[in-house]
Amino acid sequence: MRSLLLAVLAAYVVAAIHAVLAFINKRRALQRVSEVALAAGFLLHTAALAADWIIAGHYPLFYLRETLSFLAWTLVASYSLLLYRYRARPLGTFILPLVSLLVFIATVTRSATESATNAVSVRDAWLFPVHTTLLFFAYAAFFVVFIASIMYLLQERELKLKTFGAIFHRLPSLTTVNEIATSSTAIGLTLLTVGIATGMLWASSRDGRLWHNDPKEIFAALTWLLYVSLIAYRSSASWRGRRAAWIGVAGFALVLCTFFGARMMGGYHVFG
Amino acid sequence: MSIVLVGVNHKATPLAVRELLALSDDACATGLRSLVDGDIVREGLIVSTCNRVEVLTETATDRLHEATERMVEFLTRANALPRSQFEKELYHHTDDQAVRHLFRVASSLDSMVVGEPQVLGQVRRAYSIALEAGATGRILNRLVHHAFRVAKRVRTETGIGANAVSISYMAVELGKKIFDSFEGRTALLIGAGEMAELAARHLVSAGVSNVLLANRSKGPARALASELGGTPVAFSRLADHLAQADIVICSTAAEGYVVTEQMVRDALATRRNRPVFFIDISVPRNIDPAVGKIPNVFVFDIDDLESVVTSNIREREREAERAELIVESEIMQFQQALRALESGPAIGALKQMFQDIARHELKRQRNRLGPLTPEQESSIESLLMSTVNKLSHPMLSQMRHSSDASDAEIIEAWRDIFGLED
Repeated sequence: MRSLLLAVLAAYVVAAIHAVLAFINKRRALQRVSEVALAAGFLLHTAALAADWIIAGHYPLFYLRETLSFLAWTLVASYSLLLYRYRARPLGTFILPLVSLLVFIATVTRSATESATNAVSVRDAWLFPVHTTLLFFAYAAFFVVFIASIMYLLQERELKLKTFGAIFHRLPSLTTVNEIATSSTAIGLTLLTVGIATGMLWASSRDGRLWHNDPKEIFAALTWLLYVSLIAYRSSASWRGRRAAWIGVAGFALVLCTFFGARMMGGYHVFG
Repeated sequence: MSIVLVGVNHKATPLAVRELLALSDDACATGLRSLVDGDIVREGLIVSTCNRVEVLTETATDRLHEATERMVEFLTRANALPRSQFEKELYHHTDDQAVRHLFRVASSLDSMVVGEPQVLGQVRRAYSIALEAGATGRILNRLVHHAFRVAKRVRTETGIGANAVSISYMAVELGKKIFDSFEGRTALLIGAGEMAELAARHLVSAGVSNVLLANRSKGPARALASELGGTPVAFSRLADHLAQADIVICSTAAEGYVVTEQMVRDALATRRNRPVFFIDISVPRNIDPAVGKIPNVFVFDIDDLESVVTSNIREREREAERAELIVESEIMQFQQALRALESGPAIGALKQMFQDIARHELKRQRNRLGPLTPEQESSIESLLMSTVNKLSHPMLSQMRHSSDASDAEIIEAWRDIFGLED
């Protein structure tokens, strides 16, 4: 399994390096190499996750190693969608190095107690993979919002100050990054909502309680509120552009707290 | 064989002299016919534009000096201009230098505005004139096509033509950075200065769907409106139309602010904060600088545009450095192609020579063999030919090898050994 993941890592590193070089040198050929490597990596990665699932016998989202690898996978899937929909190549420059890093950590991390928990052995067990998968895609979507927002802020700042640095000529237009941020927020929020709902259903069928007041749940609720208000303000048009972009950046801090916070503060959501 | 280039360009020669030297298309054609004599000057090409007049030829190496002299003489004669007028600034390049110069010209590295795309078209035109006049041959055809290839590489692999370097085109470029595409966008033109008009024209050809023209005097607005396919609107109702506009180009002779902060704030409320891009080309400024502080509004005045143009020119120069590297590597590739071109006939001639010897010997000895059937006859010939070919094959493939490795000395040695002509 580990060798397969190493192959995935190699493909992603090649993709990331070429994406960064393509961004710096504005070369199409490099971008093509990056996309081919990414496609190969993604296929291998999908195979690796599937193999993990079959061999371990549980949905591969319990241990840190598995979650990081899965998160990388969702990021690559989201980036592929963005490439397809917006041709937003510069995003890869920022997403792919992170993906490589996540997979790298996944390859060097070994969970000491890799035994299946009792998590799966309950009624409505199918809800658990749905719950986690949806939330991971929500994290990926919010990361995209974060990157697009940063791109918006950088570019908007240069346009306002009228001093154009090297990065200016390489970023997509304000309209494009704004659109990416808006649609990713909507997608992320939908996933988050359904993800939280399935989690609640699963918890209630497991031990009859919807809410456990654990840190992850509280952070998730806060995140949800923040993105709901972002969407509301965006559609009412009073927050557009800069302000919305700042919320997109701040929101991601909350997402990070949700993702890592629980691990540090303990609670119901700790497994691995 | 040598490649020679003689000419003047915008760098050293003043326009006053360049325009006297410039040749019309017809003059180029007739001039080439008289210049190319098949002996001293074997092939020729003339590039004559407002920025340069250059004569490029392929000549016999041992008569290089004569050829250069003839080319200068030709420039003098063609326009009856005394030689002393331009001789000082005249440059002449030979071989690699000439190749480099042509590559740089075609790639727009030698242009007044580096990266401008017109020069390639001009070289293409010069080439088709020379081609029609029958002035180009093996070497120059290869050279010019190679130059086109270099130009294409430079254009696609560097950002040399990427950033706008004219103020009127800046509107399109900055607009793209804000709106991505101009489809469905509305531009509002306030006043009608020459530069504003030009900017509006660029915007329309970039895809702006709707143009509104506000002008105090109705006449010019109407004329421009019909030309650009726009709508004239009342100057007095500017505030109302502001809300419709995504791009506003302002250039009036007004002394005060035509567009005030309050007007823009109101317009933005109406258009639900969708971004607006203001270009103020007027001096004194017509748009209140405070407008630029409103979120989702971007204001560029003439100074801002000029400084962006300056920084874009610097960016082009940086890209030009990368283009120079491409040119250098292409010069090497051209040298190689040229050598293959030169040794190609030598190899062919050698093969022909061997086969001729074999045929000749067969003819000499044929009578001694008595009558033979056609099958026997042809098998004797194929026996001879295949023996000759098999014997000469290692030698010929070695020759091809050294020509690929561009080993000029060895190729020369082969020529000497077998007494081959150029």
